Formats: sequence, structure tokens, C-alpha cells
Amino acid sequence: MKTTSRTLSRFIDRHQALVFPAPAVFALSLIVIIPIAYNLYLAFTKWTIGLGQPRFIGLGNFIELLSDERVWNGVKVMVYFSGLSLSLEMALGLSIALYFHRNFRGNEIVQAIYILPFAATPVAVALIWRIMLNPEIGVMNYLLQSVGLPGSLWVSNAQTVIPALVMVDVWKWTPMITLIVLAGLKSLPRVPYEAAQIDGANALQVFWYITLPMIRPVLIAALMLRSLDNLKEFDMIYTITQGGPGISSETLYLYSYNVGFSFFKAGYGSALMVVVFLIVLVFNVVMNRMRLSARDL
Amino acid sequence: MRRRVLCVVVAGLVCMGVFSATAFAAVNWKQSQGTEIRFLMNKHPFTTYIEPKVSEFEKMTGIKVTLEAFPEDQFRNKRLIELNAGGKMDGYMIMPGQDELHYWKAGWLQPMDAYIADPALTEADWDIKDFFPSFIKASSVEGKQIGIVINAETSLLSYRKDLFTKLKVKVPQTMKELEETAKFFHGKEIDGKKMVGITLRGKKAAATSQWVGFLYSFGGSWTNAQGNSNFGSPQSIAAFKFYGDLLRNYGPEGGTMLHWAESTSLFMEGKAAMIYDANVFKALYENPKESKVAGKVGYATIPAGPAGKVPHVSNWSLSINRNSTPERQKAAWLFIQWATNKSNCLGALLAGVPAGRASAWNSKEFKSKDAHQDWTANTMKSFEIGQPQWNPPVINVPEIRDITGQVIVDAIEGKDVAASAKKAAELMDKKMER
Repeated sequence: MKTTSRTLSRFIDRHQALVFPAPAVFALSLIVIIPIAYNLYLAFTKWTIGLGQPRFIGLGNFIELLSDERVWNGVKVMVYFSGLSLSLEMALGLSIALYFHRNFRGNEIVQAIYILPFAATPVAVALIWRIMLNPEIGVMNYLLQSVGLPGSLWVSNAQTVIPALVMVDVWKWTPMITLIVLAGLKSLPRVPYEAAQIDGANALQVFWYITLPMIRPVLIAALMLRSLDNLKEFDMIYTITQGGPGISSETLYLYSYNVGFSFFKAGYGSALMVVVFLIVLVFNVVMNRMRLSARDL
Repeated sequence: MRRRVLCVVVAGLVCMGVFSATAFAAVNWKQSQGTEIRFLMNKHPFTTYIEPKVSEFEKMTGIKVTLEAFPEDQFRNKRLIELNAGGKMDGYMIMPGQDELHYWKAGWLQPMDAYIADPALTEADWDIKDFFPSFIKASSVEGKQIGIVINAETSLLSYRKDLFTKLKVKVPQTMKELEETAKFFHGKEIDGKKMVGITLRGKKAAATSQWVGFLYSFGGSWTNAQGNSNFGSPQSIAAFKFYGDLLRNYGPEGGTMLHWAESTSLFMEGKAAMIYDANVFKALYENPKESKVAGKVGYATIPAGPAGKVPHVSNWSLSINRNSTPERQKAAWLFIQWATNKSNCLGALLAGVPAGRASAWNSKEFKSKDAHQDWTANTMKSFEIGQPQWNPPVINVPEIRDITGQVIVDAIEGKDVAASAKKAAELMDKKMER
């Protein structure tokens, strides 16, 4: 008995690098690696859930998706939605963080109220926005009309649906950017600012030549975090529009969901997910490069 | 002499006994005693009605029944996954128009014709002829009966009876009159509210189940005689165009995002003069707690198009899993037969679940309690003339509905309907699975 335990402990001692991470690796492979690998396998098959078994078709799905109009529409919607919402969130998030960075009375209370949207459950707030944005019974048009403005069709019109969704996304996620940037601002050293003050730099110059370069790695980190979620935005769009009107707000991610879980075409849906995965991956590799080079400055 | 009389009497009694045995006690309800069966159910009013009565069936037959009910979305997913994995399920609820072809091809539906024809398994009084023929047809595939209707639906044109009377407007009987009536009401200010002429579903795939009545009434169809998409035909294009124009010109703004919930709530708010949607929404319109139009609604069948009045009918049925064992399938049939017998269909109807049996609707019990006779009359009329093919005749129904829905959206947005319909027809031909 004693010898067994001694052998075991000797084994562990000698193979620490393998033994200690083993449980984590096991769990990770169970919940992350196996599903991704299975998804990758399905992407090369043709399979309708409930009809036979997956059939290997090589690159068939990927050839099909090149000529699928809805794929291109999905990419277009994704770029439009993410481009607009990410740039607005970054610009607003940074400005508001700069504002909160100054000390004023009630600062903390205002901050606490400000981050509420970020803390709320996405589907719950999306359901409320859906009612608020209804052109006939929603409160948004009531508010517009009560100040003499014409009502909008919001998410019920192909032209206004993306800006309306961006509005909800910005409302919900700008606080997150603000929080991250604010933490970055608070950790900046005082010395460069004092030096700038002595040199007589004005506020704009201080921001442009000191704050912005120093905060850049934080900004890029915030953008990376946000873009990961934003590029695969699902719950909010699905709850409010389900991709409508028509396919005007159907991102590639939503389309993949529809193919997989409404049409039950698991093979083709998986292939679409692989494309989404690649887009997010490439975007993040580029961002990471930028972050590293910003840190080296 | 005496003996002879006795013989005749005895012989007569024996004969009577034999005859009465075949005529009255053909089905031995205890034949599957001890069998356990499991049904997967949608949390539907029918399930709510039948669940507390299951113990009666268990006492009568000695069969142990487990009913598992889930909300619709979960139910659909669970049913698919369990059947696919070969789970131990003996029967389940199904909307044949939605899933029967898929489930039939996958080998999950047991034909019931042999059970129905067997006097040892089916009571004469169960009487399949008592069901509306459209629902018997709706629950069959390739001539095989794969389900028995438990909930029967159709769609009706519901209108504001009070306003129609006050403004002396006739209930539209044709599509042309429907458009004129919608135009008449559209934009009118009534009780301080600006009315819309009509409200309809316009949200892509969700709209197809209501639009389909217009498709048939205009003489269009899903597929042509060769089995290809028929959306390119002038009749189908006319149906798309009429529906889209009607909603764009005389309906609420943002028509392309109207699902039934949005559409019915507009009508219940008193903001629409007419609505075309499922007949069962009467329960919503007539609920004074939630509806401002309760008691003010009249009901009519779909107006006639060039091909007449052709509403659709749809239904929920009970089916038997083909992969279950013969013994349990037999018990499952006894359960379905009991659940759809005359007294249960009537009980369900009285509890608000529209039955597929004519005898239930014609019964004194129902008629004496019926507060909306025009609803009942027009519902029954629609059951008689209804088309059960409310979905495309394919396995991949959701995908083809999605393609169809895009044409409806384009029509509502005022785009070139013919071009959109032809494009959809090509796509449909490429994607249809059968």
C-alpha cells in the first residue's frame, strides 16, 4: 500500500507539468474542444437532423455558401451593424470615461446609475425595447410625437432597422467600454501631466499627445472584448427582429442559427459557423497585433 | 311441444347472445392490461383537458399512461431529438401539416388503418365518418391514416360588427369587396382613434399560414402538377400582390414585422376594422379584460377570390411512434381512440378546444352554450371547404416557408412581386426535399 502511494507521488513529482493541468484540460476538451471539433466535422457533411446520418461531402457546403445570397447579405449586415455600433460605443465610451475621470459631486452615484443597462439581462431588455420600438403601440414614437417630431418605423423598416438596433446596442454596451477605459485612466501616471502643465499645453494637446497614446492599449483591449461579443451579437437582434424585416437585419450569425435550428440543416449551418469563427478569429488576431505594438510604444 | 318451445327459446337466446356480443362488446378494453405507454405532449389546452381524465382510462383498461407535456418550442425540439435517438416514446402530438412528411420519411409514424378497421380494436361507435373529412385527409400521408385530430383550426375574417352596422357597411364577400371595405375604413377617425382598414400577418415565414388562404382563393398553389414550385404562375403572383398591397395600403405601418401577437393586439386595441387570422383568437378578442372590442366582433369566412372561397384548415393530432413495440402500439391506439371518442371531443369543445368531430359541434350541450353563433357557423363552414395543405408539401417545411415569406415581405414593401415570386420559385425548386 505504502509503496503504491509512494510510486504515485513520485510519478506526480516527475510529471507535474502534465498531471496538474490534467483536470482542467479534460474539462476544457469536454466543453470546448470536442464541440468545436464536431462542428468542424459536420461542416464537411450534408445532414438534416432527423433524416439519416451525416454524409461526407467535402467542400460542398463551402462551395454552396459562396453563391448563397443570404451569406453575403449576412456579412454586409454584420459589417454595417458592428462597424456602426463599435465605433459609436468606442467614441462615446471614451468621452464619458473622460467626463467621469474628473472629480465632481455625486460622481459615484451618476456612475452607478450609468452602468445599469450593462448590468441588465440582455433578453429581458431586448423584449422591452421590442415593445418600445413598435411603431403603433410603442413609447418611442409617442415621445417623438409629443415634441412635434414625426414618428419613425424603427425596426419595422428595412432602412431604419440597423440604426435602431445599433441604438439599443450602444445604450446597453457603452457603459462597459466606459468602465474599462475609466480603470485605465485611473492607473495613468501623474508625472507626464505635470510636465505638460509646466510646458503650457492646453487640454486638447494633453489629450492628444499624452492621454490617448498612453490609453491606447486599454482602448484596444476594450475594443477586442466588445467586438468578440458584438460580432456574434445574437440575443438582442433575435429577440427584437429575428433578422427582419425580411432579411434586413439577419447577420451571418443569425442566418447560421436559422439554417441549423429552424431548417435543421446541421451540416450547412456548421459550415456557416466555421465562417463566422474565422471572421472573429482574423479580427482578433489583427487587434491583438495592434495591442502588442501599442504597448511597445 | 314444451320441449320444442324450450329449444326454440334457448336457440333464440343463444343467437341473441352471439349477436349482442359482436354488436355491443366487440372491443375488450382490458386486452392490454398491464402495458405501460408514454406520450409526449405539447402544453396545449387539449392536454390540459385530457390530463385529469387519464385515470378514468387507466381504470377502464389497466394500461398505465404517462403524459409528458412541455411548452411548444421545447416540445418540438424534445420530440425531434427523442425520436431521432430512438427514445422510448409510444405516441406524441403532431401538427401534420407542419411535420408529417418529415416524420413519415424518417419512419416515425405508425399507420392506424389496420387498427381502425379491426372491430376487436375499434368500437363501431367511434365512427371515423363523424370527423370532418378535411381533417381526416389532413392527418394522412400517402393514403395512410397517421394521426387523429384533437384540435381543429382554420382562419376567419373577423370584423368590427358595431362599426359595420353603424356605418352601414356590408361584410365583404369577395376579395374586391374586402379591398374596398378596407379602403373605406382606412384613416377614418373613430372614437378619437385613427383606424386602419385591416391587419394581417406580414412577418416573413409566420405570414405564410394566413396568406395561404389567399393563395388558394386566387387559384394559386404551392406546387404544380409536375411537382415544381407554382409561385411563378399568374394566379400565385396575383395572390402575393393582393395580400401585400392590402397590408401596405390599408394596414398598419411596419406591416413586415407583424406576427399574430402584434396583429391581434392592434385589433383588440380597437385600431383596426378587420383582421384575418386564426379562428381560435376569438378567445382573445372576446376577453373583456384584455380586449377593448369584446362583444363587438363579427365573424365571416375568407372572401371569395377568382377561385372561390378556399380557407386553410390545420390541426393537432395524436400519432403513434412506429419504432415502439406492437404491444405498446396497440395500447397507444386504445388510448388515442378513447381520447378522441365522442364524449371526450365534446368535453374538449365545451372546454374551448375546437373539436374535429361534427357531432360535438352539433350537440345540444354545445349549441345551448354557444355565445357566438356566427363564429361557429363560419368555422364549421370553413372546416367543410378548407384546404388541409397549409404548408408546402415538402420535408423541409420551415425552409420553404422562409423562402415564401420573403416574397410576402417584398410584396408588402411594394417591390416587383412577379420578379420576387419567380426568384423564389427557382430557389424553391432547388431546395425542396421530398
